[in-house]
Amino acid sequence: MLTKFETKSNRVKGLSFHSKRPWILASLHSGVIQLWDYRMGTLIDRFDEHDGPVRGVHFHKSQPLFVSGGDDYKIKVWNYKTCRCLFTLLGHLDYIRTVQFHHEQAWIVSASDDQTIRIWNWQSRTCISVLTGHNHYVMCASFHPKEDLVVSASLDQTVRVWDISALKKKTASPGDDMLRLSQMNTDLFGGVDAVVKYVLEGHDRGVNWVAFHPTLPLIVSGADDRQVKLWRMNDTKAWEVDTLRGHMNNVSCVMFLAKQDIIASNSEDKSIRVWDATKRTGIQTFRREHDRFWILAAHPEMNLLAAGHDSGMIVFKLERERPAFAVSGNALFYTKDRFLRFYGFSSQKDTQVIPIRRPGSTSLNQSPRTLSYSPTENAVLICSDVDGGSYELYVIPKDSIARGDSVPDAKRGSGVSAVFVARNRFAVLDRSSNQVLVKNLKNEIVKKGQLPLPADAIFYAGTGNLLCRSEDRVYIFDLQQRLVLGDLQTPFVKYIVWSNDMESIALLSKHAIIIANKKLVHQCTLHETIRVKSGAWDENGVFIYTTLNHIKYCLPNGDSGIIRTLDVPIYITKVSENSIFCLDRDGKNRVIIIDATEYMFKLSLLKKRYDRVMSMIRNSQLCGQAMIAYLQQKGFPEVALHFVKDERTRFNLALESGNIQIAVASAKEIDEKDHWYRLGVEALRQGNAGIVEYAYQRTKNFERLSFLYLITGNMDKMTKMLKIAEVKNDVMGQFHNALYLGDVRERVKIMENAGHLPLAYITASVHGLEDAVERLAGELGEDIPSLPKGKVPSVLIPPRPVICGADWPLLRVMRGIFEGGLDAAGKGGEEEVEGIDGDWGEELDMVDVNGFDNGDVTAILEDGEVGEEENEEGGWDLEDLELPAELETPQVSTNTRSTVFVAPTPGMPVNQIWIQKSSLAGEHAAAGHFDTAMRLLKRQLGIQNFDPLRPLFLDLLTGSHSYLRAFSSVPVLSLAVERGWSESSSPNVRGPPALICSFSQLEEKLRDGYRSTTAGKFSEALRIFTSILHTIPLIVVESRREVDEIKELIIIVKEYVLGLQMELKRREMKDNPIRQQELAAYFTHLNLQLAHQRLALLNAMTVCFKAKNLATAGNFARRLLESNPANENQAKTARQVLQASERNNNNVCELNYDYRNPFVVCGATYVPIYQGQRYATCPYCTSRFVPTQDGRVCTVCDLAVVGADASGLLCSRSQIR
Amino acid sequence: MATAASAGPDHLFNLRNYFYLGAYQAAINCSDSLPSLSPEESVEKDCLVFRSYIALGSYALVINEIDDAAATPLQAVKMLALYLSSPGNKETVISSLKEWLADPAIGNNPILKLIAGTIFMHEKDYIEALKHTNAGGTMELHALNIQIFLQMNRSDYAEKQLRIMQQADEDHTLTQLANAWLDLAVGGSKIQEAYLIFQDFSEKYQTTGLILNGKAVCCMHMGNFDEAETLLLEALNKDTKDPETLANLVVCSLHVGKSGSRYLRWNFSSLFTHQNFTSTACIREIYMFYSQSKYILA
Repeated sequence: MLTKFETKSNRVKGLSFHSKRPWILASLHSGVIQLWDYRMGTLIDRFDEHDGPVRGVHFHKSQPLFVSGGDDYKIKVWNYKTCRCLFTLLGHLDYIRTVQFHHEQAWIVSASDDQTIRIWNWQSRTCISVLTGHNHYVMCASFHPKEDLVVSASLDQTVRVWDISALKKKTASPGDDMLRLSQMNTDLFGGVDAVVKYVLEGHDRGVNWVAFHPTLPLIVSGADDRQVKLWRMNDTKAWEVDTLRGHMNNVSCVMFLAKQDIIASNSEDKSIRVWDATKRTGIQTFRREHDRFWILAAHPEMNLLAAGHDSGMIVFKLERERPAFAVSGNALFYTKDRFLRFYGFSSQKDTQVIPIRRPGSTSLNQSPRTLSYSPTENAVLICSDVDGGSYELYVIPKDSIARGDSVPDAKRGSGVSAVFVARNRFAVLDRSSNQVLVKNLKNEIVKKGQLPLPADAIFYAGTGNLLCRSEDRVYIFDLQQRLVLGDLQTPFVKYIVWSNDMESIALLSKHAIIIANKKLVHQCTLHETIRVKSGAWDENGVFIYTTLNHIKYCLPNGDSGIIRTLDVPIYITKVSENSIFCLDRDGKNRVIIIDATEYMFKLSLLKKRYDRVMSMIRNSQLCGQAMIAYLQQKGFPEVALHFVKDERTRFNLALESGNIQIAVASAKEIDEKDHWYRLGVEALRQGNAGIVEYAYQRTKNFERLSFLYLITGNMDKMTKMLKIAEVKNDVMGQFHNALYLGDVRERVKIMENAGHLPLAYITASVHGLEDAVERLAGELGEDIPSLPKGKVPSVLIPPRPVICGADWPLLRVMRGIFEGGLDAAGKGGEEEVEGIDGDWGEELDMVDVNGFDNGDVTAILEDGEVGEEENEEGGWDLEDLELPAELETPQVSTNTRSTVFVAPTPGMPVNQIWIQKSSLAGEHAAAGHFDTAMRLLKRQLGIQNFDPLRPLFLDLLTGSHSYLRAFSSVPVLSLAVERGWSESSSPNVRGPPALICSFSQLEEKLRDGYRSTTAGKFSEALRIFTSILHTIPLIVVESRREVDEIKELIIIVKEYVLGLQMELKRREMKDNPIRQQELAAYFTHLNLQLAHQRLALLNAMTVCFKAKNLATAGNFARRLLESNPANENQAKTARQVLQASERNNNNVCELNYDYRNPFVVCGATYVPIYQGQRYATCPYCTSRFVPTQDGRVCTVCDLAVVGADASGLLCSRSQIR
Repeated sequence: MATAASAGPDHLFNLRNYFYLGAYQAAINCSDSLPSLSPEESVEKDCLVFRSYIALGSYALVINEIDDAAATPLQAVKMLALYLSSPGNKETVISSLKEWLADPAIGNNPILKLIAGTIFMHEKDYIEALKHTNAGGTMELHALNIQIFLQMNRSDYAEKQLRIMQQADEDHTLTQLANAWLDLAVGGSKIQEAYLIFQDFSEKYQTTGLILNGKAVCCMHMGNFDEAETLLLEALNKDTKDPETLANLVVCSLHVGKSGSRYLRWNFSSLFTHQNFTSTACIREIYMFYSQSKYILA
C-alpha cells in the first residue's frame, strides 16, 4: 500500500472523491463533513450542520455540489463553492446510511434504517420514488453506473437489485403520448416506478455493503457473516458465484477495482483486503493496529483509494504507476503491461520489443521498478520487488521487435537493485552483506565489492562507478579502486538523473531536488511542497522536472520557476529544446511543447550571453512583474528597464541601474516634483551637474540650485539666480547669492532695501565702502552701531572650484551592454564598464586560442604537403619474412607448464598467409614480398622495369599494417589490415590485404587527366596518365566487370600517354617544322575524347596551315567540321582553312603521313606503322612499336619489355576462380 | 574471483591505470598526491613512475635517479633504461641481466622477469623472453606473454593467456587491453569488440594517444579510414611526436588517397628514434634494391 495522505479525526463513516480536483470529502461520526485537498494535505473546508453522525456523502460528477445524509434523518445538498447547504430533503424516518447522485439524472438515491430506499429529484427537491421491500435497515443503496438499476443491501441478509427504468421513462420527455399512457397504466395497476428485479440471498447475517461491477454484470457484497460474496446476473436471474473468506469480523465495505481486476474490501477486523477478482483469492492484506475500517472509496478516474476508520482516513494507492524506463541516446526503453517497449525520440515511433514475464499477481507491486539498458550489448536489466527484490536480465535478440508472444529466457537473481556499470557488466546490491556483486551477461559473478557504508539502493554513476544510497547520504563508489569518490548528505533519494555529459547529477527525493556535480559536490537544492516526480536535463544544462502538477525548471544557480501546470502526473524521459518527452501513467509516450523562453532568458543572463539576451528581448514577449522582479533581484535592473512601459517603474529601475538618460526621459514624462528631486539626488551622486541643474530647475529648488552653482563655480548662473531671487522678492535668497558671489555692494544694497540699515552700515563700513557708509550713516542718524575694535575684516569670497562648469569626472556607472543595442540614443564618449569588458574579452580569447590551435595543426599539415617520394617511407617487419612456418599443434598446455616450459614455435605471419593464397601482384607487394610480386608481374605483364612501381610497392606495404602500441616499452605490434571487413567476418580467418589503390581512384585520376589535357597542361596530364599506367599492374578489383573496365582503361590511358608524349616532343622541335607537322598529324589519329580530338585537329590544322601545307590542313579542317564542334570559333577557323585549301590544294613539303591509309603510331619513334607493316607490341599497355624496339622497355608505360611473353593482366580473384 | 571481496582501497589503481593506458605524464603527476603507502606499494609506485619516464624517453633521468642501493625491481627498471638509452649498452645489459636472472635470490622478482621479457623481446629472442615470463604471476607478465605470443603470430597461445587473466580479474585494465590486442590480431568480427573496449576506456578515463590509436586501428581494420584519420589527428593534437600515431597516420592517409609522406616528413626525427619503425623501413629499402637488381641483371 502506498499511502498518499492520512488524517486524524473522529470516526470516518463516509467518503467521496472529487472527480477532477484533488479533493476528498469525509463525513464523520461527530457530524462534521470535512473537505480535504489530499495532494497538498490541507483541510479546505468543514461543513457542520448535521446533528449526529453523517454516514453518507457524495460529490456530484460535474456540478459544484455534494450530498450528505445523517442520523438526523436529513439529506442535505451543499454547494461547496459557496460553502452553503442549499436545501434539505426530508422524508426518511430513521438514520440515513448512504446517499448517492445519479450519474446523469438529477437524482439522489438514499438508504435508510427506515427499511426504505428513496430516490429524490434534487432539482425539484422532491422524493420521486420510495423503494420498499427490505424488512430491516437498508445499509447501502447505489445506482448502476450505466443501466437503470439500483442495488441495495440490508440487515435482512438480502441484497436486492431494483429496476428503475420506469422511473426514467416517467421523467422522459412529456411529449410522448404512448409513454404517458403506459405510465398511467403502471400507476393504475398500483405498480411503482421501481420494481425488485432480483433478491440475492446467501449471506447468513446482515449485509453491510453491495456494489455493481462498472462494466460486467457482477455484484459484490459484504456482510456481518464476515464474507464477501460475488454474484452474477443476466436478464432473467441472478446467482451467487463465489464467496471470499478471510475477514475476521463484519465486512463493512467492498468494491470492484476494474482496472486492476481486483476486489477491495474492508472490515471491522481492522484490515483492508485485496482479492483477485478472477481467481477469487486474497492478494494482500493491510492492517491497522487499533482502528476498525468503516468505509472505502475509489477515485472515479485515477488509481486512488480512500478508507475511513475509527480515527481518521487514509488515501492510498495499491500499485505504483510509474512505468520503469531507461533512456539511451535517442531511444527510450520502458515497460508497459507485460512488454518491454521501445520508443525512438526522433522518429516518435513506439514498438513492442519483447514480452517480459510478469509473475501472476500473487501480490501487488510486482511490476518492474527500474530498468537499466546497455546499448552495445542490447541488454536490459529489470528490477522488481518480486521475492523481496530481484532482477531479470534480458538480451534483446538482434532481429528485435519479436512478434511472437514467447517470453525469451531471462537470467534472474535476487538483489534490491541491479544496474549496468559497463557495457557488459552489471552490479547487483546484496543488502544482507552490503556487498556489490559485479556480474557479466552470463549472470556469473565476476567480482565482489564491500561497500564502505550500508546502502539500500544503487544507481549508475558512469562506467565502473556506482551511486549508492545510504541512510542520510549518497556516495559514489568506484568499483575498481574501491574508493569513495564523493559523498553528499541528502534526504532520501528516490531517483537520479545524470546530465547528458555526465557532469551533473540531479538527485530527486520526495520533496527536494539536489543538483551536484559528478563528484557529488553540492551545487544547489530546491525544495518543493508537492511531490517531485521526474526530471531530465536539457542541452543547455537546465534541469527540467515535474512535480505532481507542474513542469518546472531549475537553472544551474538554483533559480527555478514554473513552466506550465499539469493535469495528470507525467514522467519526463527526455528534454530536447522545447519538446518534453514523457511517459504518462498509462505508459503512453507524449510530447509536450513548452515555452522555453523564460528559462533560456535567465540562463543566458546567468551565462552572461548578453547577445542572446538582447535578441530575446527584441524578439519575444517576455514580460510581467515576475520577470522584472527577478531581474531587479538578480542585479540586472538595466535589463528589466527594457521590459517596462510604465514610466514610474521605468524611472525607478533607471535610478537603480544608474541610467540617468532614461531616468531623465521618464522624469519628463512623469513630471512630478518628487521624481525630479530623486533624479537630482542620483545625478548629484554621479556628479552629472547638468542633470542636477536641470532637475533643480524643474523643481524650482532655487536654494539647492544656488548651492550647486556655488560648488561648480558657475558665477554667471549665480548672478542670474540673484536676479531671480530679486524678482521673486526673496530677500534671503538674494542675500545668499550675493554672499556666494562675494558681492559686498550687493549685500549692502539688499540689506538696505530690506530695511536692515544697521546691518547694511556695518557691512559697508567693514568692507570699506565709504560712499555707502556715509549715505547709510546719514540715514541712520543717531543709531550708528559701534564696530568692534581690533579686528581685521576680510571679504568672504567663496573658493573657486577646481573644475568649472562642466560635469565632474563621472562615477563608473553600469552602462549596460544593452544600451548600445537597445537605445540608439546612447551617447558615445562614456566609458565602457571595465568588468564586463574583461569578461567578453576573455571569451573571445578562448575562441582565438581554439582557432589558433587548429590553424597550427593544419599549417603543419600543409607544410608537409609537398610530397617527396625520395624520403624513406616507413617500412616494417620483414624480419620473419622467410620463415616457412609449419604450424605445430601446441604441445604444451597450461597444466604442464609448471614442469618444463617449451616455447611454441612462431606462427605464420599474416603476410605469409596472404601470398600463399594469392597470385595477384598487388597483394604480394602489400605483403612485403616484393620479389614474388615482381616475378608475377614479369610473368603476367612482361614488366621488367620496376623503378616506377617502387613508390607504390612501398605504399602498398606501408598501408597493409597498422601499429598498436600495446605494452609500455615493448616493441610495437603490427597488425595486418585486411580488406572487405564486415561485421560477420569470422575471426582467425584471414582476408586479403587492404590495398590503397582502388578502381574509383583511377577513374578520378582519369577525369583529372582529361581536365588537364583540356586545359593544355600537357606535362601535368602526362604525369597523371602515366601514374594510372603505373598503378594498374598492382591494382586488385573484385568483379570481372571491373577487370574489363581496367583493361579498357589501359587502352584509353595508353593512347593519351602516347599522344601527350608526342605533343611534348613536338613542342621541343621548334626547328623541325616537318617533324612538327607529322607529330601533330599523328596526334589526331589517336583515340581521344571528342573534345581532345578536336583540339588535336585544330592544333594540327594550325601547324600545317602555318607551314603552308594547305592540303593536309584542309583535311584536318574537314575532319574538324565533321566532328560538329560546339565552339563556334573553332568551326569558323576550320571553314576558313578549308576555303583556303580548296583554293590552293597542295602541300609545300612532304610529310610521312597518309591519312587515307590506316596506321598506328610507334610508341618510341613516333612513326606511323601502316596496316600490313610489321610491328612489336608491349605486353602490358599494348602500344605498338616498330620491330627495332623489340626487347627494349616500352616507352609508353615505362614498365614492360616490348615483345616479351606475358600471360596477361591478373588483377582480380574472380579471374582465377 | 581472485580479488578479495573486502580488500581496502587500492591507492595505486589510478597510477597503474594511467600507466597502462599510456597517460605517462598523468601517471607521474598523480604519484605525488598519493596517501601513505606500504613499503611494497611504494616500490611498485616508484617502478611505475620510472617506467613512465622510460616510456616518455627520459632514460637519463631514470639512470641517474636509481642508485645502486635501490630495490631489485628498481634496478631492473634502470637496466631497461640503460638498454633503451643506447645500443652500445646492449651487451653489458644483457649479460648482467642474465646474471641476475640466474641468481635464485632475486631471479624470481616479477618486475625483473618483466624487464627481461621486454628486453629479449626487443632482441627478438622470443624463446628466451618466454623462458622468463611464461610462468606469469602478475597481470603485467601475462599481458607481456600475450604480446610475445602475438609477435610470434601464435594467437592461440595468446588466447590461453588471456583466459588466465580473465579468470584472475576480468575487468582489470590490462585484461581488457590484452583482450583488445588479441581481438585485433585475430581480426574478423572480434575487431568490433576491440573497438568497444577502447570505446569503454575513452568513456571512462581521459583519452590518451594509446586509446585513440587503438580506436583508430580498429577503424582501419574495419575499413573506416575516415574515422580513423579523425581519431589519429586528435591523437596527434595530444602528442605531435608519437611514433605510433604518425605511423598509423601514414597508413591511414595512404588509404584515404592522400600521400602518406607528408606525415613522414613532418616529424622525421621522431621517427628515427622509434626503433621499430625505422629499422624495418631500412630493411625494406635494402630488400627492395636487392630483389630488383636481381631482375634487372637476370
